[in-house]
Amino acid sequence: MITVENLKKEYKLVKRDPGLKGAIKSLFNRKYETKHAVKGIDFSIEQGETVGYIGANGAGKSTTIKMLTGILTPTSGKVTVNGLVPYENRQKNAVNIGVVFGQRTQLFWDIPVRESYNLLKHIYEIPEHEYEETIGMFTEVLNLEPLLGIPVRQLSLGQKMRCELAAAFLHRPSVVYLDEPTIGLDIAVKVKIRKFIKEMNQRWGTTVLLTTHDMQDIEEICDRIIIIDGGTILYDGGLDEIKKQFGQKRVIHFELADKEKFVLPASLDGQVELLPNEEETKVSLSFDHETVKSSFVISEMMSMYEIGDLNIADPKIETIVEELYNKQEQGGKHEEILANS
Amino acid sequence: MRKYWQIAKGRMQENTAYSAWYWAGTVSAVMRLLIIYFFWQAVYANQTTIQNINLETMLTYIVIAMLLQGFVGGVGNELAENIKDGQVAIQLMRPYDMIFKLFAVDVGSKIMYLIQGTIPMVLIAYFFMDLSFPKSPETIILFALSALIGIWIGTFFDFLVGVLAFWTVNVWGVRVLKESLITFFSGALVPITLFPDWLRIITEFLPFQAMVYLPVSIYSGLITGTEAYMALGIQLFWLVSLYVLVRVIWTQAIKQITIFGG
Repeated sequence: MITVENLKKEYKLVKRDPGLKGAIKSLFNRKYETKHAVKGIDFSIEQGETVGYIGANGAGKSTTIKMLTGILTPTSGKVTVNGLVPYENRQKNAVNIGVVFGQRTQLFWDIPVRESYNLLKHIYEIPEHEYEETIGMFTEVLNLEPLLGIPVRQLSLGQKMRCELAAAFLHRPSVVYLDEPTIGLDIAVKVKIRKFIKEMNQRWGTTVLLTTHDMQDIEEICDRIIIIDGGTILYDGGLDEIKKQFGQKRVIHFELADKEKFVLPASLDGQVELLPNEEETKVSLSFDHETVKSSFVISEMMSMYEIGDLNIADPKIETIVEELYNKQEQGGKHEEILANS
Repeated sequence: MRKYWQIAKGRMQENTAYSAWYWAGTVSAVMRLLIIYFFWQAVYANQTTIQNINLETMLTYIVIAMLLQGFVGGVGNELAENIKDGQVAIQLMRPYDMIFKLFAVDVGSKIMYLIQGTIPMVLIAYFFMDLSFPKSPETIILFALSALIGIWIGTFFDFLVGVLAFWTVNVWGVRVLKESLITFFSGALVPITLFPDWLRIITEFLPFQAMVYLPVSIYSGLITGTEAYMALGIQLFWLVSLYVLVRVIWTQAIKQITIFGG
């Protein structure tokens, strides 16, 4: 239902020299530089899928979502959502989508939440009985009852986000884009929100595209992840596969007294990979947990070097993403990863 | 249509969210009216007419102009703010026509202003000030029509200034300029007939006089007969041209849109 082919987006940014001199200069002579936010991505998402769309800040996630919603026009490439080209049929497309931007509100700031829902009912032309039913259900699942009469400005962040989610799902859209819906929330609210998204997906078959920096969100909500970095897709596949493939990986960060003298111990050669680490005193080793034991790596390292401190990174999605990300920086290796997947 | 009415109603509810602020608006409107009233009383203290306009006609003109001026603004400021802080992104994801939505918001604001500012001013003017009323029902109808068109011309113009934010991000300077241009050239400050000839001719080619001067002149009898119908024609011309411009510029803006922030 969502297809994206060779999608690209470039921005023109004003380039400024530093300082007041630069600022004044830029008033007369503007230089632009082109930023390639999205550099030709492809994917397709079926109805009812729950997809985690992840990447570092500035990787191109929000830009992609804005193109899917139709508020940004791609520089080139193709997008269709439910057979519609979003930026050409913005209003028609809008009927079928729901959106949460974690950092913005779509509700009235100064008047009770209920009024926002009432307006949405009219904007999306939701039939009265369907509206009553939906609101009733949301009130129960998200515990909105005590919040409905309060203006958004008086709600806590967690309360606000629950209300925002309800607003996004109110018209039963076929696809929902959630841009960091759990940002800044406490764990109890996060759990509630994840449960809600999951339930909506099961009940109505809503397609969910979720961006987040909280990997727990991904693990609990998504069946599939797409990892984007620097405007290109690094990985696109099932959550289980990526875990199977990379989940046995361990990364240990060692703090050494003298990093310059460091060479990989001969006993670890071929079994352990040295990851780039920019910190002056730290060395990071990655290895497959099935063939090499952490204790072995640690004891070998300790017998040869003076170790100040060490830190074993969890075998979580985060580690996997970090590794993919590092490999990308090393250059070109992600093709190999993709080929393997 | 229904959804746009609901949007207007939403705005009306928002405007009444803070009651102290709401009533402060009433007080400030009444104060402005009184200041202007006594100012012109003082100007006429030593003369009976200025360029053949007597005190009663002048006061009528100024007061009606003031009432109308309250409506010639629009949603431009809000649009510019929304563009600057990126909130426009949310609005663009809704299944409504953005221009109609903004005008619906504007209608909501103006209905509230009518209750908050205009009606109290009209009551005070009616009971405490010696103003004249149009002689014929025809004049009243012409005035009502002309005022309505004038208000929409003002609204469209304001929208055009606001939409500039898509290119310039910040439109504060342009808005200040716009406000002073309108106050002066719309004839809200003094009747355009008091301008020197060269300035009056320039003014006749600008859209601003169609916002306030033409309707008020119809009301106060400065323009009558065929001239009044001519004035309506000029207004219609500006109304249509500005609306076309609004649509064209909006389409252009959407095409090259960059949503700021995140």
